[in-house]
Amino acid sequence: MALYNFKKIMVVPTAKDFIDITLSKTQRKTPTVVHKHYQIHRIRHFYMRKVKFTQQNYHDRLSQILTDFPKLDDIHPFYADLMNVLYDKDHYKLALGQINIAKNLIDNVAKDYVRLMKYGDSLYRCKQLKRAALGRMCTILKRQKSSLEYLEQVRQHLSRLPSIDPNTRTLLLCGYPNVGKSSFINKVTRADVDVQPYAFTTKSLFVGHMDYRYLRWQVVDTPGILDHPLEERNTIEMQAITALAHLRAAVLYVMDVSEQCGHTLQEQLELFNSIRPLFANKPLIVVANKCDVKKITELSEENQKIFADLTAEGIPVIETSTLTEEGVMQVKTEACDRLLADRVENKMKGKKVHDVLNRLHLAMPAKRDDKERPPFIPEGALIRKRAMEVDAPKRRLERDLEVELGDDYILDLQKYWDLMNEEEKHDRVPEVWEGHNIADYIDPDIMKKLEDLEKEEELKERAGEYDSDDESEDEDMQEIRVLAKQIREKKQLLIVQSKDKDVHGPRMPRTTTKVRGGGQFKIITAVSVLVCTRFARRSRSITKKRKREASAPPTSKTRSQSASRPPRDQSGIRDPKMAKKAKKMMKNSQKDMNRQGKKGEADRHVFDLKPKHLLAGKRKSGTNDYR
Amino acid sequence: MPQNEHIELHRKRHGQRLDHHERKRKKESREVHERSHKAKKLIGLKAKLYHKQRHAEKIQMKKTLKMHEQRKTKQKNDDKTPEGAVPAYLLDREGQSRAKVLSNMIKQKRKEKAGKWEVPLPKVRAQGETEVLKVIKTGKRQKKAWKRMVTKVCFVGDGFTRKPPKYERFIRPMGLRFKKAHVTHPELKATFCLPILGVKKNPSSPLYTSLGVITKGTVVEVNVSELGLVTQGGKVIWGKYAQVTNNPENDGCINAVLLV
Repeated sequence: MALYNFKKIMVVPTAKDFIDITLSKTQRKTPTVVHKHYQIHRIRHFYMRKVKFTQQNYHDRLSQILTDFPKLDDIHPFYADLMNVLYDKDHYKLALGQINIAKNLIDNVAKDYVRLMKYGDSLYRCKQLKRAALGRMCTILKRQKSSLEYLEQVRQHLSRLPSIDPNTRTLLLCGYPNVGKSSFINKVTRADVDVQPYAFTTKSLFVGHMDYRYLRWQVVDTPGILDHPLEERNTIEMQAITALAHLRAAVLYVMDVSEQCGHTLQEQLELFNSIRPLFANKPLIVVANKCDVKKITELSEENQKIFADLTAEGIPVIETSTLTEEGVMQVKTEACDRLLADRVENKMKGKKVHDVLNRLHLAMPAKRDDKERPPFIPEGALIRKRAMEVDAPKRRLERDLEVELGDDYILDLQKYWDLMNEEEKHDRVPEVWEGHNIADYIDPDIMKKLEDLEKEEELKERAGEYDSDDESEDEDMQEIRVLAKQIREKKQLLIVQSKDKDVHGPRMPRTTTKVRGGGQFKIITAVSVLVCTRFARRSRSITKKRKREASAPPTSKTRSQSASRPPRDQSGIRDPKMAKKAKKMMKNSQKDMNRQGKKGEADRHVFDLKPKHLLAGKRKSGTNDYR
Repeated sequence: MPQNEHIELHRKRHGQRLDHHERKRKKESREVHERSHKAKKLIGLKAKLYHKQRHAEKIQMKKTLKMHEQRKTKQKNDDKTPEGAVPAYLLDREGQSRAKVLSNMIKQKRKEKAGKWEVPLPKVRAQGETEVLKVIKTGKRQKKAWKRMVTKVCFVGDGFTRKPPKYERFIRPMGLRFKKAHVTHPELKATFCLPILGVKKNPSSPLYTSLGVITKGTVVEVNVSELGLVTQGGKVIWGKYAQVTNNPENDGCINAVLLV
């Protein structure tokens, strides 16, 4: 059994379009050039290919149509019945049958003409045979014009059917037209069904979804049903009957207590009794709608008796009003609970349940002592829970105010300000007054503060905080300077010594040696530690000094490094002759790569110098300047 | 309105764009210019197809325009008097008609004897032997050339069995054997697919007639019992002659016209 997706059926083209598409495809995708002087087998093959290609295309497209459209026997009986109601089963099957016949005829035509073409002894004869074959195939398809049109309409309508899952939890609304079924579904779900004062506003099935007890429920709204026998029902009513017959759902029969729909309660009761057989084995609830206009208690005796009878039979009657929303939630919970109970009961009766039941085991821990261990609920949660139950009014929110006032609402945050004088809350604050900028006077002491700050800065500057000071050093600093000088001298000595040593041992790569500046770094870090603890605020002058000091060592450092590391093209070379040869060898190896424009020896990129999309294809309009 | 028709629902609730009608009007008036641009700029196969389609459209438009004009004038209607309508004073002349039938039958019998018919295609191009028969070389060294293969469509009867392959001189390949013909009745203007009974005469050569080769202009006998024709005497006609009007080897089917 194939899985059908009603929304993914391929478009069925009209007969004319179908022929045009296939013929132009044949013309584009098969070779177009043949000459009289070619060998006869080549000519035959050329034309046979065209005939077979056309046949293949037709066959594929028609087969796809036949597989995409659902077989009425393979889909759920609800959908099969619905399709019968909407599209007429016989017509549908006939149309598909015609398409199937056309497909077989096309295959036969192609077979015959290919067989004939084997006896073709001239280009003219083969060409005429191909022309006859294609013409015949297209004529066959032209005859299917009406079937293809019908199937296209069916496809469009089918893809727009609401996606009702026949197996899941469903609530079904039924009743006379205009009783309030669509209003009910609008209240309970997010479906936006049209609600209008005239009858038969809803002309097809509508689906909405809602949540209850952490489960997803479907609510199906049907068009209204009038009270006449089954044979006289029109397509719209039959859709409702189909839904009632095939969906295992909880049925909500909606009645209009106020009789505003135009039918008396007696008539509604008659309808109820006539479709009673469809409610067998389904949880049923009678919804007495429009109770804001008229309550059951306000009705006449006999009408009240109707409802009393229903309640006596065990069918719950719930008064609702979709306008004021009273009773709607009650209906919902009642219906859902009943349906759940029904479904569970059915499942328990079935065979599959025992497999699951055998595996389910609820483990209760054995009590080890008499101590009570109730669940722990924090205080705040308890308070909130109590508040929710009591439904205590919370602090009035802005949002509530907004909802209340509607269009008149203006956001006014100034009313929350905490001022000494309550009446001044809503006064407008000016920006400039009498030539003065109000923002300058926020603080009453602001001028004084500014003066203090300026004095402090003056003092600081006088004290020489911002000067660089060379002279004020203490003993520690001097010691450090002496130490640094010694270190410097020692280093220079070492460098000279190593230069004189003339040791050409194996040279290790740079990375394996320890960082040369390690020693100097240690001195500097030691210095900085000393300095930072005592001269914390003098950081600027210290850094300046350090900069000046740090300038000397790097130069000596590079000099020492360059002596021990020759450039790579001179390392290992004994004399200029060898250097020249090395260079020549290098250039030689690079010649090939350069000629081919490669970046290096690892560049193995293959260029596409004759791209297919520019150079292949038939010569269409245009010259050789631009293909 | 079904649940899934979001576009239509939105249009119903919120109406159209404010400039919708103006845009629509302008788009429709631009269509004329676009169509003329297309007609001028198209080239190649697409142009041929487009111009053919457009020509047909224009012819239809002209016809409807003319029809609208015609309504205003009155014209002589030739169809009012049916054919074969006879004025009252000529009605009782049955005896003569019967005599005419008899003489017709005698005339037809004489014509058959003479071998001359009134046929729709009196003159047909003669097919030479090299065209109709292809030489097949046989023998150990492929030198013997006495076998011939028929390259045109042919008809072999129901009880046909080949001669032993070593001795058959004329090969009629199975792929070229046809049993049915599409026969058109000239007066009824209807075409039927009737089984062939036999080849009566091939105008090119009596050899072809005996072989059963069917080319353009061949007279074949077809089984017309499907049509339900009855003679004056009450006998059911089940065989009639028809002349082939197309080249069957080029079209893959035999089209013929019934000789009434």
